[in-house]
Amino acid sequence: MISATKKWIFLKVSSLLMVPFMIWFLLKFVSIHDGNYQNIIDFFSTQPSTIIFSIFIITTFFHSALSISEIFEDYIDNDKTRKFANMMVYLSSFIIPGITIIILIKL
Amino acid sequence: MNNDNPLSPHIQIYKWHVSSLVSISHRITGVINILTLSLICFWIWTLILGNENYQIIYNFFNSFLGKFFVIGFIWSYLFQILSEVRHWFWDLGYGFELKTSKITGVLVIFGSILFTIILYSLRGILV
Repeated sequence: MISATKKWIFLKVSSLLMVPFMIWFLLKFVSIHDGNYQNIIDFFSTQPSTIIFSIFIITTFFHSALSISEIFEDYIDNDKTRKFANMMVYLSSFIIPGITIIILIKL
Repeated sequence: MNNDNPLSPHIQIYKWHVSSLVSISHRITGVINILTLSLICFWIWTLILGNENYQIIYNFFNSFLGKFFVIGFIWSYLFQILSEVRHWFWDLGYGFELKTSKITGVLVIFGSILFTIILYSLRGILV
């Protein structure tokens, strides 16, 4: 299997996983975003919110990193620039959800 | 090693259609979504700073700019969701006919606006 096919399968599987979690988060976010500090802490520190939100950010960052690398392939000609841009996107798609999940566990 | 793949033509070359509008909007909202999700993660990071520092975020979400951000965020996510569903049907081999493609494109645009209004109107009820 060539890498482009693998990437396409990963994009489709992550998209199928991501959409239900996106809907869940939208429904929750619209009601909690303007709450006070305690409301927000209560939401993110209780189950199943912690686990569902963690899965949501992992799948969304993974799917987005793959999608954005497709955009880079379409519009960035220079190899070095494209590789650097891809590396930054993949790195941030590990670091941001990673730190967030650690903080969620500690809340 | 140089990549010999041709680049995509820039978007101003094309004559605009519903399908091209939805296609480029799908990419733009995808980038916006990951940026706003990063901001939401930073929002969670600020929780460890305590109640006093959270007041800034609380004031932002309850301001006009904050409400504009939230409505924009909801629309961008709903657009992405509906557009992803449209792609799933394409992957299954349905919806490629020109007329169907136009109809589903229009459904994505107006559906995302309609669902944004409904969802934002239901805030406080949906917990």
